[in-house]
Amino acid sequence: MKKIKFFQTLIIGLLLTSFIGCTKKTTSNESVLNLAVSAEVKGMDPIYSNDRYSSNEVARVYEGLLEYHYLKRPYTLKPNLAEAMPTVSADGLTYTFKIKKGVMFHDDAAFPSGKGRELVAEDFVYSIKRLADPKLQGLGFWLLEGKVVGLDEWRKKYSELPKTDYSESVAGLQALDKYTLQFKLKKSFPQFLYSLAMPFTFAVAKEVVEKYGKEFLNHPVGTGPFVLPVFTQSNKITYTKNPNFREKKYPCEGDANLKAAGFMADCGKLLPLVDKLIVNIIVQSQPRWLNFQKGKVEYISVPKDNFDTAIPDAKNLDPKFVEKGVRLSVSPSLDVTYTAFNHDKKLFNNTKLRQAMSLAYNVDESNKLFYNNTAMPAQSVVPPGIAGFIPNYKNPYRGNGKAEQIEQAKKLLAEAGYPNGEGLPEITYDCPSSTTSRQTGEYFKKQMAQIGVKIKVITNPWPELQKKITNRNVDLYGIAWGADYPDAENFLQLLYGPNRSPGANGSGYDNPEFNKLFASSAVMQDSPERTALYEKMYRIAAEEIPWIYGVHRQSYTIVNGWLKNYMSTDFEAGQASYLRVDLEAKKKLMEKF
Amino acid sequence: MNIWAYIIRRLLYVIPVLLGVCLIIFVLFNMVSPDPTLIMLGKHASLSQMEDLRRELGLDRSWFLQYLDVVKSAFTFEFGRSWSTKQEIIEMIKAGAIPSLTLSVPAFILSTVISIAISLFVAFFRGTFIDKGVVFLCVTMMSISSLAYILFGQWFFAFKLGWFEISGYEFGFPDFAPYVILPVIIWVMLGLGPDVRFYRTIILDEIYQDYVRTARAKGLGEKVIMFKHVLKNAMIPIITYVIIQIPFLILGALLLESFFSIPGLGGITLNAINSSDFPVVKAMTILISVAYILFSVLTDVLYTLVDPRVRLK
Repeated sequence: MKKIKFFQTLIIGLLLTSFIGCTKKTTSNESVLNLAVSAEVKGMDPIYSNDRYSSNEVARVYEGLLEYHYLKRPYTLKPNLAEAMPTVSADGLTYTFKIKKGVMFHDDAAFPSGKGRELVAEDFVYSIKRLADPKLQGLGFWLLEGKVVGLDEWRKKYSELPKTDYSESVAGLQALDKYTLQFKLKKSFPQFLYSLAMPFTFAVAKEVVEKYGKEFLNHPVGTGPFVLPVFTQSNKITYTKNPNFREKKYPCEGDANLKAAGFMADCGKLLPLVDKLIVNIIVQSQPRWLNFQKGKVEYISVPKDNFDTAIPDAKNLDPKFVEKGVRLSVSPSLDVTYTAFNHDKKLFNNTKLRQAMSLAYNVDESNKLFYNNTAMPAQSVVPPGIAGFIPNYKNPYRGNGKAEQIEQAKKLLAEAGYPNGEGLPEITYDCPSSTTSRQTGEYFKKQMAQIGVKIKVITNPWPELQKKITNRNVDLYGIAWGADYPDAENFLQLLYGPNRSPGANGSGYDNPEFNKLFASSAVMQDSPERTALYEKMYRIAAEEIPWIYGVHRQSYTIVNGWLKNYMSTDFEAGQASYLRVDLEAKKKLMEKF
Repeated sequence: MNIWAYIIRRLLYVIPVLLGVCLIIFVLFNMVSPDPTLIMLGKHASLSQMEDLRRELGLDRSWFLQYLDVVKSAFTFEFGRSWSTKQEIIEMIKAGAIPSLTLSVPAFILSTVISIAISLFVAFFRGTFIDKGVVFLCVTMMSISSLAYILFGQWFFAFKLGWFEISGYEFGFPDFAPYVILPVIIWVMLGLGPDVRFYRTIILDEIYQDYVRTARAKGLGEKVIMFKHVLKNAMIPIITYVIIQIPFLILGALLLESFFSIPGLGGITLNAINSSDFPVVKAMTILISVAYILFSVLTDVLYTLVDPRVRLK
């Protein structure tokens, strides 16, 4: 009997604490922004922030010279810690920045008397050298590799010595005075400025790095809008507003559309607009979806499995969500999915074979099957929203499943020397091992069977697939690319011959004409002439079918009614400081939940 | 033989076993798995960067030296830092162990106690419709995928009824309690099917033994027979089954942790495997192996306590 009583008490006790726990609610008027992210955050060191999740967290605490304008589309760079955009020398090789005066690092024990000191130009010199430090193996060095005068040599020298000496100066990276920073490039590289808006190059303070050593990644001390005293890898990260944040204001430049959408209400207000920021790491989509519906997180991207519930007609939000004040934000992502040919294989040097396979692949159907018909079929390599994309261009070899296309594909296949697929070996299709990738593979196999091309689908864990691609050990592989920065160069480089694997050009496509155009455009500043070259490459990449193009995806985000100023972006760094939680609206809307 | 001498001898076996474990993980990760530098550098890997990184990680040294590193870390428990997160591994394990244990220990104790109780109950009514009904129920429960329990439980009890938190975790007692109750209940439900069937079989094996008939012949009551004689004799297989599960408790429950956002060791291990984070996988494998050996020694010692016929040699 005693035993039974003990367990009864235990269970009742546990249940009681559960209810007490459930009813514990914050009642203060503090404005708290609750976000949900879907993958673990590795750490808070800018030089290791090579995935979206870690770099977003880094950018809440740290800042860089430049940032993307919060409201402007297409994406436009604007000064952040820089006083203004840099002055660029006539040859396009020297960039001189003035940095803002009076910007303070967060308070931390690493500084004398624990008070954060002023940011100076030398901090950027130090931070960028850290990124290049061979002992640290920062994951963003590719951004600057081969570009800044003296930096590669500096890196090379210290990769062979036991310790890196930061006091040795690098000719192309200099602090001319307390507030002037100068970069000298080896060759013209107009995309250079985008690097300075990426968290890899954000400013860290030498004192903090030296005090915490290897634990620096858990002690983020930046100049940014939010403060996080210690990072612990857990299910939740809680930031507070930086009380000493400089006077940074919500932008006032915006057109009538933005005004009508309520984006200008906070014009001129001091950032950040919330007191506290809680980032919940929720890996699985069901709990993310349920927490959103309970109003516990402000916005989520619509999980694939709940798409039909949220957006039944693939366009508009279900009325039961609209009633609760939820709104839908749709925006194209800067990405492209594709099936690449391994151009090292002689078989695929046959353009007609590639074109035939592309024609046989019904992209509209795959859009329905895998993206709930929300994506845009890709015509070539560059996604919409950036210069180089040709709006109404139709790729002549883009398949849509119509009978005449299949006939044409068969004809091309015969011209390629393989009538009805005769004489073709079985072709392997490698993809990652997730369910969707496998389904995509099976779908591809079915499409190719229509013209007699036999495909064998092989699924691989992600690292294994990468290894196979690097070692040129594949026939075809299905993959995607997301933009690092909003410039077509970032996509076109995937087909530039000299970039072949292990560089970014995994397919090994090598077309002298394309290479020549790319090399010419690579040194040009943004201009109509450069866009013309981009468009030429866009057409070559479309008609030559170096890949079978998939889609450009779109992001579908649902946002709770009380969250103001939410704007979808491919570059989320710094976004949180512009968001506002309308506490009154939240109180009212929560009654409907 | 002295029990201490036995324990020490068994503990010495840890050495060859660990050397073997080290060899297996070393071979798996250094010769079979893909190049970790490629994974770490991601889509922008260049040959020279990969080479630099390989040098920094010590992957350019001879295999023998690299194997010695693995062995060294197995005996000193100094696992270094994760390749992927750059965090101190021992700290990651310490931080992850608490949430995992707050979930797995109560779940394990409850599910063991409940299933043994149910098994005794059905064994008591063996052959009747109660017994058959419970066995049928167990098989049904085992046939449903664990994911179904989790998805339904989370949706119905946490979301629809709002009895529990949907997901999340707070450190410290009793703050963690509201977050683990639902996963604990689901864990217990998941374990009931196989456990009850297993314990029932063990207990039934004992019930048909001669000594039970003797006890009945002597006129002992069924309760005394069940609790004093049958349960005691069934203890050896029960102990084996229970204790062998303990080392794996620190791993937590992969799916449960993932769905309920509990920052435990299960998630750490899974992330490490997905990103070929060799040092973390190595540390987890070594820890589990050591725990496994220790607990199997403990099982042997416990045998002597519950069954005086067992002598350790």
